[in-house]
Amino acid sequence: MSEAYAKPLPVPTPESQPFWDAVRRHELRLQRCQACGQFWFPPSNVCPECLSPAWAWELVSGRGTVFSFVVMHRAYHPGFRNELPYNVAVIALEEGPRLVSNVVGCRNEELYVGMPVEVVFDDVTDTVTLPKFRPRPGA
Amino acid sequence: MPHPGARLRDRYAIVGVGQSEIGEVPGSTALGLLTTAMKNAIEDAGLTNKDIDGIISRGPDDIYCHHQRMGQRLGINARFSTSLDNGGASQILAIALACMAIDAGLCHTVVTGFGRNSWSRKESSEQNRMGVNLRPVEQQEQEFRPEFGYFGEAATHAFGARRHMALYGTTKEQLGHVAITFRKHASKNPCAQKREPLTMEQYLTARLIADPFCLYDCSLVTDGAGAVVVTSAERARDLKQRPVYISGFGFHNNLRGWFFDEHMTDTAAKQAAAEAYAMAGIGPQDVDTAQLYDCFTYMVIVQLEDYGFCKKGEGGPFVASGALDLDGALPTNTSGGQLSEGHVEGMLQIVEAVHQLRGDRPPDRQVPHCEVAVVSGHGGNTVCHSSLILRRAP
Repeated sequence: MSEAYAKPLPVPTPESQPFWDAVRRHELRLQRCQACGQFWFPPSNVCPECLSPAWAWELVSGRGTVFSFVVMHRAYHPGFRNELPYNVAVIALEEGPRLVSNVVGCRNEELYVGMPVEVVFDDVTDTVTLPKFRPRPGA
Repeated sequence: MPHPGARLRDRYAIVGVGQSEIGEVPGSTALGLLTTAMKNAIEDAGLTNKDIDGIISRGPDDIYCHHQRMGQRLGINARFSTSLDNGGASQILAIALACMAIDAGLCHTVVTGFGRNSWSRKESSEQNRMGVNLRPVEQQEQEFRPEFGYFGEAATHAFGARRHMALYGTTKEQLGHVAITFRKHASKNPCAQKREPLTMEQYLTARLIADPFCLYDCSLVTDGAGAVVVTSAERARDLKQRPVYISGFGFHNNLRGWFFDEHMTDTAAKQAAAEAYAMAGIGPQDVDTAQLYDCFTYMVIVQLEDYGFCKKGEGGPFVASGALDLDGALPTNTSGGQLSEGHVEGMLQIVEAVHQLRGDRPPDRQVPHCEVAVVSGHGGNTVCHSSLILRRAP
């Protein structure tokens, strides 16, 4: 399946590699400060709140809401040409950090700011998994 | 307690402005366009290159030590020179830095400016036409964005527009008023890149780019440059043009990101404007014209709020009221802005403000009794803001 996948794949850095390793195992993990308890994203080597270098990749709930979203009608990369129109959303996780992803399992017209969502794992190639989000049932 | 920067209020002036050809200029180079604009600004001031001892410049991000190239082309060994790297917030920063450098006795007359050949670069290859992202590859995001199909500045700003719509009820039509009003201004500007009229029907049925943005919510891809000459108010009095005083400037940078807190809808413009107003000793009620950084229609609406021209959340109704028209409450982007005149990273907004304050625009483009102008700059990864207040010399 990897030869058919035509979209860009993430190019991890040494700092972000644990994030991608975790989603490959279908776990959403973010860095959390062991001094002040803050979570943060994107990855960095100190806590942006208290600058402590003591942190760990902790499992998060995977629950959040749609903070904002757009629906792309223009392909900036050939891999997305057949997907138009597709959504890109900023997801506000319950733990605080916000990350970019796609909302799957609903039509673009059903999306709204504040929509409750939960993480799902999309194994797009034999080695790469992307964390995506779907409407949260019962929320 | 006066703002500490009030010491500099009206002590420095813009004494010359210039621009290059604007729009689609086949075969143009970014350095060549800025050379023309700087030459025009120096001559507009009644000066020669021998009178300039400072250069602060900016161009495409792949030109290393940009100011060195400009000094070589303009025949200037500068006492003070540097290039800036703060996106669209750089051009006002350059003017503030010029004031500070002159104030410190490091130089006496500075030329600043920005030039780009983005339209020519975009047209140079199919890949460029598709990407429209003219940043060097090594500066493009490699994870957390492209794999989800998040590309381009339109999407970034459209996230803000969508959230503003959700929080405050802002509508597509209100975004449309911004595009239509600026196109109306551009139609009277013979230098503008897009001059044909735009109707609300055309706007509402236009091709979508990153919904809620359509084609007309997005600024143009432009070849062009603009430049200004800054010197002391004292020297300015002996020069060719009526001086335009630099009354205030302010900056704020929400470096934790566009997605952090409510930075999309309460932007860094709020704090930058407060600094500039305090330095100038004025408030929004004293402003006769605004020249705002309109990379996208939404940014005009949110800046009108953050500058205090209307309340938070009321930017949409404010623009729909006709306030931005030449005879409106706050004539804004009177040369057409980046949405219609051309996107020269905020530089043409500064040039337009100076012309309005000199009062030398033709009657159908001139803001009556124009004494105070606000100019804004916005850039980096959408989080850096610069604010400039200019005043006509008495």
